Amino acid sequence: MRFNYQVIVNIIGLLLMLNGVFMLLCIPFSMYFGEGDLMAINWSGLITICAGAILWFVTKDLSNKELKKKDGYLIVTLGWVSMSCFGTLPYILSGAIPNFTDAFFETISGYTTTGASILTDIESVHKGILFWRSLTQWIGGMGIIVLAVAILPILGIGGMQLFVAESPGISPDKLQPRIKETAKRLWLIYVMLTGVETTLLWIGGMTFFDALNHGLTTMATGGFSTKNASAAHFSPFIQYVMILFMFLAGTNFTMTYFGLHGQFKKVIRNEEFRFYLGTCVLLTAITTVAIYFASGTGFEQSFRNGLFQVVSVVTTTGFVSADYTQWSSFITLLFFIMLFIGASAGSTSGGVKIVRHVILLKNSILELKRQLHPSAIIPVRFNKTAVPKDITFNILAFIMIYISIFSIGSIVMASLGVDLETAMGSVATSLGNVGPGIGSVGPVDNFANLPVPGKWFLAFLMLLGRLELFTVLMLLTPYFWRKL
Amino acid sequence: MRIIIAGAGDVGFHLAKLLAIEEHDINIIDLDSSKLQYISNHLDVNTIKGSSTSYGILEEAKISKADLLIAVTESESTNISTAIIGKNLGAKKTIARISNTEFLHKKDILNLKSIGIDELISPESLAAKEIKKLLKETALTDTFEFEKGILSLVGVTIDEDSALLNQSLADTAHLNPDRNFNTVAILRGNETIIPHGTNKFMLNDHAYFITQPDGLERVMNLSGKIRTPVKNVMILGGSKIGIKTAMQLSNKYKIKLIEQDKEKCFELADQLPDTLIINGDGRDVELLQEEGIRDMDAFIAVTGNSETNIISSLVAKNHNVKKTIALVENIDYIHLSQNIGVDTMINKKLIAASFIFRHIRKGEVLNLIGIHGVDGELVEFEVKPNSKILDVEIKDLNFPKSAIIGGVIRNNQGITVRGNFRFQEKDRVVVLSKPECIRTVEGFFK
Repeated sequence: MRFNYQVIVNIIGLLLMLNGVFMLLCIPFSMYFGEGDLMAINWSGLITICAGAILWFVTKDLSNKELKKKDGYLIVTLGWVSMSCFGTLPYILSGAIPNFTDAFFETISGYTTTGASILTDIESVHKGILFWRSLTQWIGGMGIIVLAVAILPILGIGGMQLFVAESPGISPDKLQPRIKETAKRLWLIYVMLTGVETTLLWIGGMTFFDALNHGLTTMATGGFSTKNASAAHFSPFIQYVMILFMFLAGTNFTMTYFGLHGQFKKVIRNEEFRFYLGTCVLLTAITTVAIYFASGTGFEQSFRNGLFQVVSVVTTTGFVSADYTQWSSFITLLFFIMLFIGASAGSTSGGVKIVRHVILLKNSILELKRQLHPSAIIPVRFNKTAVPKDITFNILAFIMIYISIFSIGSIVMASLGVDLETAMGSVATSLGNVGPGIGSVGPVDNFANLPVPGKWFLAFLMLLGRLELFTVLMLLTPYFWRKL
Repeated sequence: MRIIIAGAGDVGFHLAKLLAIEEHDINIIDLDSSKLQYISNHLDVNTIKGSSTSYGILEEAKISKADLLIAVTESESTNISTAIIGKNLGAKKTIARISNTEFLHKKDILNLKSIGIDELISPESLAAKEIKKLLKETALTDTFEFEKGILSLVGVTIDEDSALLNQSLADTAHLNPDRNFNTVAILRGNETIIPHGTNKFMLNDHAYFITQPDGLERVMNLSGKIRTPVKNVMILGGSKIGIKTAMQLSNKYKIKLIEQDKEKCFELADQLPDTLIINGDGRDVELLQEEGIRDMDAFIAVTGNSETNIISSLVAKNHNVKKTIALVENIDYIHLSQNIGVDTMINKKLIAASFIFRHIRKGEVLNLIGIHGVDGELVEFEVKPNSKILDVEIKDLNFPKSAIIGGVIRNNQGITVRGNFRFQEKDRVVVLSKPECIRTVEGFFK
């Protein structure tokens, strides 16, 4: 099968133009604070829009608009890579991050909502650039393709192929029969929640700029902060607000949609939501007790730190209210394992996702029963319906690949001269799009000191994790490129 | 519009395809999850696995808000029950596919509307009608008349004898001095071309023209076709379509019907007194020769087996039958027709799908006609007093490239229009448009 290169280039052009428009959104902040990053942002936006416009213009007479599955995967991967390349422009042109490797790392960490940073002093960076940094996460959180499907008219039927390739989870739920309407509603909820959070944070005592930035990065489960101390810089009220919205961002947006429509029964009955809530409650209880005894801080603070860190890591956001590697090795290990959990499918979070764990766990337990009754047909039940076998196999493959990449990745990082804890921590956190890891990439450290090849490798893992392994890995297989 | 389609078979799929392009909200219900999987991979619609007669499933498809419920599963009784249940649950309009044509004929006595079925369609009788239409003019692959022929659409195959062969539209302009026909589409393989000046006519193309009555003769001459009236028709297969066709044609033509099953033949002979029924296998060339296939003007193969239909049509073509029509189940075969020599292949499911589609669109436009194999629709619009196109010359219109204005009916007279034509109020305009830009074209007339 041949690729429809014309459409692929055309859509990437559109994505870049959209991206450029987002860059120009930084102008008001740049002008208001007047720190001299205006020209850099203007140029970045213009260059990106022009590059996109050229790609779009040369392919605008589409003879064949049909998108095959393969085209969809190629568009999404190439789209994300090219966006990450152009996304470095504001950093490089303003001199905030002069080095391309670092700028690329920061950008892709933004788009993939990882939140791992190479900046050592965030507060010294110009506000316009900081806003761009938060905006990359917000764009990447719900996904630029989903946005393109929602607002651009061209992606009719092909939209579904793209949507599937970008959305997290096993299979995306359709809120509406048409994918465009679904995408519109998803973005509407996303924008609305971001607005509500920003307002609450603003009321809670943040400056408007900080409130908006944290609103953007919380809803994206990103975790970029405008302060060196991250969430620890702010009051308990603000931290509780952030916990609530991190939790909402990690909830399946379909559930949020039902919730907003007053269909709470559907939400409560949803098995993934129950497990997600249960996991958070259980882990919070354990960590609270552990922190209380290990650190000697008061109960409220132990509870708040425990809750904040658990929600932050499980939802793969990565804000930091306290350094979880400081208390005890038990707590450090607990958080390391949490890097692999991930929140709900259909949310903006990364990682493996609860639904996969639950189905696989159920399947493994049922396997015992199957051994006792060899002729019985015992399907895995999820949300009261039997899960088809091919989905179970798909999840098995996903987790197997996830663990393989984690193991191989850790070895690769160690071979680059990084210590054991850092190697494992950095790979797990990049692949899961979390942000902080353990070792020298712990919550209060950053990724600046890693070797250059290591940064590129982690950047690759972030993309892999955000697009849920298959979309990117498929491109690396010979089957994908073979004509037969 | 919110539309629910019950049944994800060929009719359901094609209907959904036509409607999805028009940006309707579509839910498709079927029991077979692999069919649904295929649909959701190819179309922007929502799929629901389950029985369309189930309350829960219809509720999931939001039946109470549905503007239209179309029941097109394989089973007639499922379709009827689905329509009745759906109507009671709040669907504004229901359409059910049936196979027993008694329902159609006794519509008024059975009073189906009162129990909740607004519209019935029978793919078999639609196919029979289509065959009847195609037989009118043997030299043409397709034809449609507007207002009893003051403007008509005709399709011809470009073969070696045609004066148009390997010429571009601009080159052939001098062959049409009176300008009484317009080329509106070229079907090459399975590609539909909306022609502009530089497009060429190639061998085996199906070319479609909009002509004035006096232009028809010229089209025939240019394409090297001779007009002959149809007298003798051979039908292969005593299927429902075969019977319907024989019934509809028997007062005009002499008909021989060949059927394999002896007992069925007896029944057929009982049902069709004016038709000569012959018991035999249609693949038997000797039998066909014996029954005088050489003298036939048209050969219609409508057995249940697509391959038999195609092969026997080829046999007929070899014996100089002027018009061959084959019924095929497999939609992909349709595009083969002109390459292998069968004049027209018809698929009853496609016909049914486009019939329903036109039914839905009626009211917004005056007329909507599908052409076999062509990826486009012929639409007739009326110029409204505040239309965008009023008093603008066609060439300044910035009309979409995948649509073309073929002709205009003004004061009961057909005009094949040129670039300098200006529209007036109440003009009726015939446009051939690819499905994706029908909406855009519609915008010009609103």
